[in-house]
Amino acid sequence: MQLSIARENLLKPLQQIIGAVERRQTMPALSNLLIRSNDQGLTLTATDLEVELVATLNTELGETGDATIPARKLLDICRSLPDQAQIMINSSNEKTVVSSGRSRFTLSSLPAEDFPIIDDLELDVSVVISEGDLRSLIEKTAFAMAQQDVRYYLNGLLLEVDAEYIKTVATDGHRLALSEIKHKTDVDEVRQIIVPRKGVQELQRLLTNDDNQVTVALGKNHIRVTLPNLQFTSKLIDGRFPEYQRVLPEEEGNTAKMDKLHLKQALTRASILSNEKYKGIRLIIDDNKLVVQANNPEHEEAEDEMEIDYQGERLEVGFNVVYLLDVLNALESEEVEVIIKDANSSALIVSSGKLESRYVVMPMRL
Amino acid sequence: MRQIIHIDMDAFYASVEQRDFPQYRNKPVVVGGDPAIRGVVATCSYEARTFGIHSAMACSQALRLCSQAIFVRPRFEVYRQISQQIRDIMFSYTDVVEPLSLDEAYLDVTQCNRTFGSPTLIAKAIQKDIQFKTGLTASAGISYNKFLAKIASDLDKPNGLTLITEKQGPNFVQQLPIGKFYGIGPATQEKMQCMGIYTGDDLLAWSLDELKPLFGKASLYYYNAARGLDDREVESHRQRKSIGSEKTFDEDLKDPKEMLEKLHQLAAEVWQEMQQKEVTARTITVKVKFDDFVQVTRAKTVSRNINEVVEITVHLQELLHKAEIEGRRVRLLGVTVSNLDMLNSVKKEQQLFLL
Repeated sequence: MQLSIARENLLKPLQQIIGAVERRQTMPALSNLLIRSNDQGLTLTATDLEVELVATLNTELGETGDATIPARKLLDICRSLPDQAQIMINSSNEKTVVSSGRSRFTLSSLPAEDFPIIDDLELDVSVVISEGDLRSLIEKTAFAMAQQDVRYYLNGLLLEVDAEYIKTVATDGHRLALSEIKHKTDVDEVRQIIVPRKGVQELQRLLTNDDNQVTVALGKNHIRVTLPNLQFTSKLIDGRFPEYQRVLPEEEGNTAKMDKLHLKQALTRASILSNEKYKGIRLIIDDNKLVVQANNPEHEEAEDEMEIDYQGERLEVGFNVVYLLDVLNALESEEVEVIIKDANSSALIVSSGKLESRYVVMPMRL
Repeated sequence: MRQIIHIDMDAFYASVEQRDFPQYRNKPVVVGGDPAIRGVVATCSYEARTFGIHSAMACSQALRLCSQAIFVRPRFEVYRQISQQIRDIMFSYTDVVEPLSLDEAYLDVTQCNRTFGSPTLIAKAIQKDIQFKTGLTASAGISYNKFLAKIASDLDKPNGLTLITEKQGPNFVQQLPIGKFYGIGPATQEKMQCMGIYTGDDLLAWSLDELKPLFGKASLYYYNAARGLDDREVESHRQRKSIGSEKTFDEDLKDPKEMLEKLHQLAAEVWQEMQQKEVTARTITVKVKFDDFVQVTRAKTVSRNINEVVEITVHLQELLHKAEIEGRRVRLLGVTVSNLDMLNSVKKEQQLFLL
């Protein structure tokens, strides 16, 4: 096959899909991209067998046909060519020639028919949602996903769809993040899927234009998100997500209201004394006053005090400071509410008066 | 400027055997396993080395190279006692001694050369003390960091002493073949040679930013080594960095199921030792040596400390699979955990569970 395309038209889609190409592959074909030109257009496909990304290119069609081409090399070539360059791609059985002006690369290619494409999709539910809403659902929760946990079903993001709402939930067993939006869908029965960590991260990268409408389609084993000029498909984690409702604490209880920015600054200062191993800080919540304390094995101490709105009994609770900062970074409001019972129970953190995003953090015993 | 001495006993185990058994003297002696049941060479005497025998070689191969070689089983208890004698000698010169194994150690004598004289004189005195008290010889390397001191001790073996001064350091490293760098094994050597790096001088041409994507964490060490720099301290209270167990089988394994079973047994041993030492770990490594002696390791780092044996065993199958064992014969398997942490320091901060 043969095609000619402006560098700018190729570079962006390449950058969007390159994340699916693993640096260490188990199969040679996975380091390649599939370029497919047919009557529906010109597409680029990248996959790691779990996540598949397909970009549709804006270009005039050359002759139809399929070819594969080393992905990172093509991207690097594309990047290093000058602006406005016109790129010619000419592919025969074993070789692909990429040329532009006086530059010419002969790259090895593999048979297009060996390129693995996810094709056993059975998508039975679909929801149309704005890119901004989807991005927000992911951004507000994805940070709490587990990483390489033995409980494999925690290494991903729960997406829950019902007739009235769409929800995302992530937890690593120590903390939990939940975000929901009200959204009418055609789904009559609650549907839960778990998108693996890598898929979540790749999808998040693709969501850049808040106003676009995207289609999210769910099947038994896959999720497919269709954006303008882009299609994201990921396998799902086959497992049951924990019953997150059970760990959401009651919204009643000792409520402390505080300024988010001040709290964040106080925690950031105190965390100067924490390190890779010691991330614990102590919160002392007293009458309209919060004291943040940190100390490390070298017996150094930090103490920071701020005014808050609280009239309850005195509480002294330890937390992993990173978990608290993650939550504060995800919350958008100026004021946050921390609802907590005692030093051994989980704390609920929300934006004041808003429950769309809820964060549960388990304390630390210091 | 620091003054570091690296002391390395000459053919330690074999020399001990020759010392204790006069009939072995001036003969090729191989300390190690039984050549009949595929043991490996731990150490061999200099006489044996002239036949091409070296440590880690299969004893059966050693026997082929030299039919008159005397094979003896190691007597670790004896070696340990002698090693302690040697350490006592070193500690009489400085407190900053970092033993690397039974037969080698680093000493930082920066502080003590005023009392005893130059580092060269100290090294000579230590060699003399060792020979007097144990009847064995050691080689010494002296330089301004660990990297160069270790290379220096190897330059004039046995019973040698080599000094690499600050002035000579950079030039010395430049002409050094890349495989002689401490920490650059055969795999890295090959990778570097593919990049056109054969000597320290070649390595010098690479910037840190260029090395980073290729060698990750190790790149800073390589970058500095090429410049004769190494700021690692001599750690007199060295903590264990890993706990491992491995086994060479009497017969090669072919069945992946059986291999997995053996790995489980090894993991259980490792776990037992972890509990004894009251440590936890975050990295699990599986080592596989094939019948052609090609060895691969596959490792995985988990996000939280290992608290149960299943947190090791659950990863074994995946790691074994990654070592591409299908259809191959395996002679040795090992399991190691690293990224260690003391349990009591972890206990101090205890994250409570939500789920």
